[in-house]
Amino acid sequence: MMFQPQRALRRRERRQRSALLRLLQVARPEEVFPLLLQEILGLGFPRAMALEADIDTGNIVPAATLRWPKLEVEKLSSALPRTGQPLTTVLHRAHPAVLPRSEFWARPIYLHPVLYTSPRACREAGHRRKASCLAVRNFRHERPIRLEEQVCSACHARGHAGWVVVELNRNNSEADLHELGELIELSGHLRSRLLKAEQDDHRMREMEVAIARMGTVMQSMADPVVLTDLHHRLIMQNAAAERLFKPQGKMSEGMGRAVELNNLLFSAALSSLVISGGGAYHDLTLVDVTEGEEMLFEAVSAPTYGPDAAQTGTVTVMHDVTDLRRADEELRANYEKLRQTEEIVHLERDRLNLIIENVGDPIIVCDRQARIVVQERLAEELFGPGPESPRSPAQAGNQAQLHDCIARFVASSAERETAPLCLFHPALKLEIEYDARMGKIFDENGQVSYTVTVLRDLTALRRVEQLKMERRMLEVEKFAATGRLAATIAHEVNNPMEAIKNAIYLLAGAIPENARPVYNILQSETERVARIVRQMLGLYRNAEHAKPANLNTIIEDTLLLLNRQLQRARVQIVSDLRPLPQAVVAADQMRQVLSNLVINARDAMPQGGRLLIRTRHVPGHDGLYGWIRILVADTGTGIPQEMIRAIFEPFVTTKGERGTGLGLWIVKGIVNHHTGRLSVRSREGVGSVFRIDLPVVKP
Amino acid sequence: MSVEHQYRILVVDDESSVLITYRLILERQGYQVAACRTSREAIETLRGEEFDLVLCDYSLEEQHTGFEVIAAARQRQANVPAVLLTGYATRETAEEAAIHSINVLFKPIEIEEFLTMTADLLGKEK
Repeated sequence: MMFQPQRALRRRERRQRSALLRLLQVARPEEVFPLLLQEILGLGFPRAMALEADIDTGNIVPAATLRWPKLEVEKLSSALPRTGQPLTTVLHRAHPAVLPRSEFWARPIYLHPVLYTSPRACREAGHRRKASCLAVRNFRHERPIRLEEQVCSACHARGHAGWVVVELNRNNSEADLHELGELIELSGHLRSRLLKAEQDDHRMREMEVAIARMGTVMQSMADPVVLTDLHHRLIMQNAAAERLFKPQGKMSEGMGRAVELNNLLFSAALSSLVISGGGAYHDLTLVDVTEGEEMLFEAVSAPTYGPDAAQTGTVTVMHDVTDLRRADEELRANYEKLRQTEEIVHLERDRLNLIIENVGDPIIVCDRQARIVVQERLAEELFGPGPESPRSPAQAGNQAQLHDCIARFVASSAERETAPLCLFHPALKLEIEYDARMGKIFDENGQVSYTVTVLRDLTALRRVEQLKMERRMLEVEKFAATGRLAATIAHEVNNPMEAIKNAIYLLAGAIPENARPVYNILQSETERVARIVRQMLGLYRNAEHAKPANLNTIIEDTLLLLNRQLQRARVQIVSDLRPLPQAVVAADQMRQVLSNLVINARDAMPQGGRLLIRTRHVPGHDGLYGWIRILVADTGTGIPQEMIRAIFEPFVTTKGERGTGLGLWIVKGIVNHHTGRLSVRSREGVGSVFRIDLPVVKP
Repeated sequence: MSVEHQYRILVVDDESSVLITYRLILERQGYQVAACRTSREAIETLRGEEFDLVLCDYSLEEQHTGFEVIAAARQRQANVPAVLLTGYATRETAEEAAIHSINVLFKPIEIEEFLTMTADLLGKEK
């Protein structure tokens, strides 16, 4: 038979193509080796097997065998690694070799490396410029192949390494081996691609799971999460975000507007969020679509990156802080209120302390067990400092007395009470009588929580009153002496004047007509002297001692005495007398005062009119018992303005010939001598008001 | 005023000028007046006669008072009306006078009041 190289070549190509077409039907990588072995045998080789190396451990195991007895496979697969060199060398070089017969294999064998190879780089390596694909590297075998490097740095695909072992016939040509090599090589590529596809598929499934997981996480987040692209267009959002930003079919007009507004607000906020970078929280106000109420969010944005490390968009998470803010604001407001209240309390306390310090009387605050809680400086002198500190026997004694007094008061039903308390003053070394004025402070249950006690030093008060009394007595004495002198003179004048007056009366009929005017002067002037004398004698008559008396009674007596006169003068009496404390006065002098004022009032109302007498107790502001105020008012002619200053001077009168000018002088004298005050207000044609204030002195 | 109804009045005052004017004023009213300067003289007069009214100054010679004269008059005539004329009259004097139903006129007297009171007392007495 003639050798026809062209025909042989064509026959070989045809055979190779059909083998490859069969191989292409393989769907799974593990199916490649068995089919390849069949095809190899189809090429006329006696037997073949595929060995695979574990890239992690380096263990070599048979992957597929054909027509190779099991025992021999084991022998070969264990012997080959031990001889070491051929397998590794073949792999390192990525080049087939033919091993001559040995003690382990009876015929020469053909050894062809099968690696993870591809002429084209993986997708991942294609995206990243600097990454290199393992498959391409293996394909190009730029450097020795090593098992431990069989993982793609770009796509993390695990490579694989193996060998196809083929027992050769004695007469195999170079072309046969080349054909065999090409077949194995193409099968290797196919297997690599299938493996890569399987791995990609696997990775895709994993990614799907991861995406689904992430989706679940995102959807289950109560905070709205929005993913946007670089142009702030929505990519995806979770259910919480949809409630704010996604228009729904059944929405009312108002809700639709709210959604629109939210989108606007969010877009506006997103710009500033992106500018300020990730991590920073921004306040974002949106509208609750169903309720229409304002919602406050804290939004944070972070850029999202693609596999090429370029930014693909922004993810924004919004945290609803409406309630938190409200609570915070409320808390702040409450705190502010509290602070203000505290300030007021401080001010009040300072004010109270100032008052307490300036009262000048010892003040003690006790609890319901009558234990001292607070006391000011003066009280501290009496009772000693706090209960822990040592105190003198006198202070201990004082405290026991105070305790008894307050305990009694607490047990009583009275809200206020005044009780005498005689304490020993340690600094002054004398007993002092106090008026303990006690008051209760109740808690919200109506129970006594505290008592406040103010001690008034009666000794000091009495000393002041004593001095006042003595001064008044002296005044009265002086007045009486003046009165006596005046009376003595008056009495001496009285008798001659009585005779003159009577004589003038007797001469009345015997006066010639031309002497009448002179006689009249004589008569009226004598009458005037008589009145002066009467007043002066009156001063003496009333020089008596002061005694406690009720001024209302004195007023009533005087009015009773003058009643007829007043009635005749058509004067209506209006008396408005209120209960008064006792006053220490010379009753007759006071009668004189009142009768002078009443008579003046009567004289001021020649046509009649109204006379008002009013008494009042005016509480004192000077720590004493106040004043008794007597008003005597008339609706008379009034006192001319130019006279009002002089009205209390002696011999000043508004009554002309009829007045002595002594009445108000005497009134003033008596009031002064009672350490009282006298004043007058008057308007011509309207009337006059005389006001007398007499001090109340407790006997 | 007829003779048989002429009232008799005793006037006592230690100041003679005053005493004279009282007497003249009363006589001008038609009364019969006995005027004495001292208590002693007055009491002496009272022994001999009865009067319808006694007008007496409070302070008389030495430490004597008008009360003594009035008391003497009332020993003889228990209900004889009396008026005490005084410049000094204190409260005590007034109270004592009131106890003994003695009227008081303060010097210097108002002549009109003096005459009214005199006439009233005499009228009452009758």
